[in-house]
Amino acid sequence: MSEVLSWVFAILFVLVIVGWYLSYTAARLDRLHVRLSGTLAALDARLVRRAEAVVELANSGLLDGATSLILANAAAQSLEAPSEHGHAREQAESDLTEALDLALTPEAVDGLRASALGTDVLSRLTSACNRVQLARRFHNDAVTDVRRVRRKWAIRLFHLAGYTTMPHTVEFNDESPEHLSVS
Amino acid sequence: MRIGIVCPYSFDVPGGVQFHVRDLAEHLIGQGHDVSVLAPADSETELPGYVTSAGRATAVRYNGSVARLNFGPVTASKVGKWLDAGEFDVLHLHEPVTPSVSVLALMAAEGPIVATFHTSMLRSRTMQTAYPIIRPSLEKIAGRIAVSEDARRTVTTHVGGDAVVIPNGVYVDRFAEAPRRSPWIGTPTAPTIAFLGRMGEPRKGLPVLAAALPEVLRSVPGLRVLVAGPGDPDDVTEGWPAEVVAACEFLGSVSDDDKASLLASVDVYVAPNTGGESFGIILIEAMSAGACVLASDLSAFSRVLDGGQAGAMFANEQPDALARTLVDLLRRPERRAELAEAGQRRARIFDWSVVADEILAVYETVIEGRAAAMPAQGRWNRFLRGGAR
Repeated sequence: MSEVLSWVFAILFVLVIVGWYLSYTAARLDRLHVRLSGTLAALDARLVRRAEAVVELANSGLLDGATSLILANAAAQSLEAPSEHGHAREQAESDLTEALDLALTPEAVDGLRASALGTDVLSRLTSACNRVQLARRFHNDAVTDVRRVRRKWAIRLFHLAGYTTMPHTVEFNDESPEHLSVS
Repeated sequence: MRIGIVCPYSFDVPGGVQFHVRDLAEHLIGQGHDVSVLAPADSETELPGYVTSAGRATAVRYNGSVARLNFGPVTASKVGKWLDAGEFDVLHLHEPVTPSVSVLALMAAEGPIVATFHTSMLRSRTMQTAYPIIRPSLEKIAGRIAVSEDARRTVTTHVGGDAVVIPNGVYVDRFAEAPRRSPWIGTPTAPTIAFLGRMGEPRKGLPVLAAALPEVLRSVPGLRVLVAGPGDPDDVTEGWPAEVVAACEFLGSVSDDDKASLLASVDVYVAPNTGGESFGIILIEAMSAGACVLASDLSAFSRVLDGGQAGAMFANEQPDALARTLVDLLRRPERRAELAEAGQRRARIFDWSVVADEILAVYETVIEGRAAAMPAQGRWNRFLRGGAR
């Protein structure tokens, strides 16, 4: 009888430990997912702000018409798909970066800096570009952490991640325009 | 913005991380932010008003050196109280893998967390054993900052993921405005050079400089070498040739003002450090003061000097290379002026006004993400998340 009882206790003990571990792991993963959705939202917001800064630059009348059109078009592409996350969005953002790089030649930057409005627009754009870089890096850090934790056996075996899809790092060219940084 | 900053090292003793925390906090307060710093400190140590003491620090051997750290259940509860009272919008931890208040704050905190990694000398053995314990906590950090490329490499190899590089800041103007002092100003026949740092510590490179001096003195007999920093000159100069000892003047430890004036006065500031430097803030201070910098070609130094554009460099641990470059500089005042000017221009990008803005951008990014992700939390949800403190 006592032997049966000690077996029952041993099994109970193991179950409690396993249960605790699973709930701890689930909480850890949940916290990571909260962080992940936060970094993604921040990245979205920062991208929208960058595109808006580009629209502002295009509408400022300080650049020639053709360049303004190219910038406005690239910014519109980025603003069109704000909630999408995938190849199309990444392509649009890379295109916007490229358009900025082409538009902001050293001469153009000098021209813009000559006026108060231009300096103002440029400083907003610079800060928007830097913040996109920050947001993307922090998001990709969160993705790396989530992916690593989700490889754990307990999470796969007990389906702790539920139906959330496996996150992917966001890859696009977010370099600040070459001639913008030199002040 | 309400900002909580945690420094793991004791405020009783000076150190790079402590200075960084102090300067950052003062700059942010100057901008109108609400800043509180938590750091270990003795009860006798006089602390600025914004610092909360986490109690006395104990000297512990960790990661290959002795550090004054603070830990234990009493400290943990102090950290918890500080966090509760502060209600910070963002928590900024320094050196989060050091077993001190930073790690305690990391484990207890819940809100948006930013962490700065300073060291580039983490031992992999230390990290391997420490990792399982603190990995889940490290996952809470939403924004990682490294103070240099070397520190960033430590993060990518040991912690995983990436970090943004934001260099240490310097109050450039404090150095740029330092008055020059005539006893330290060189003349064409008796130029002055300066060395700063603990004399007895070989990696600061005083032996390299000493080995180069006989050669230099042959070409520039009137040279005066001003050595500032803690240490006993008699111990250090043992075995040096007599003419080298005669050329050296030992100033002992100098105050911040004296340091700035010294750097502003001398013809060349020499940094012969042989390794273990992850950043080289002293170079930036020298550049700010308008000194012509001559440094060993450590990767950290090379980055600060813009690959030699903003200061001269010589092959690390090669006294003859040092001697050659130094003599060349001493003979060409126009070259010195050119380097000093380039250095002063370059130092601007390390000014606190620039650096603090970058740090604030990190805070804002992290806070924004948190605000967007905060779901309406029920009590059950909170319980599940293990967040009920």
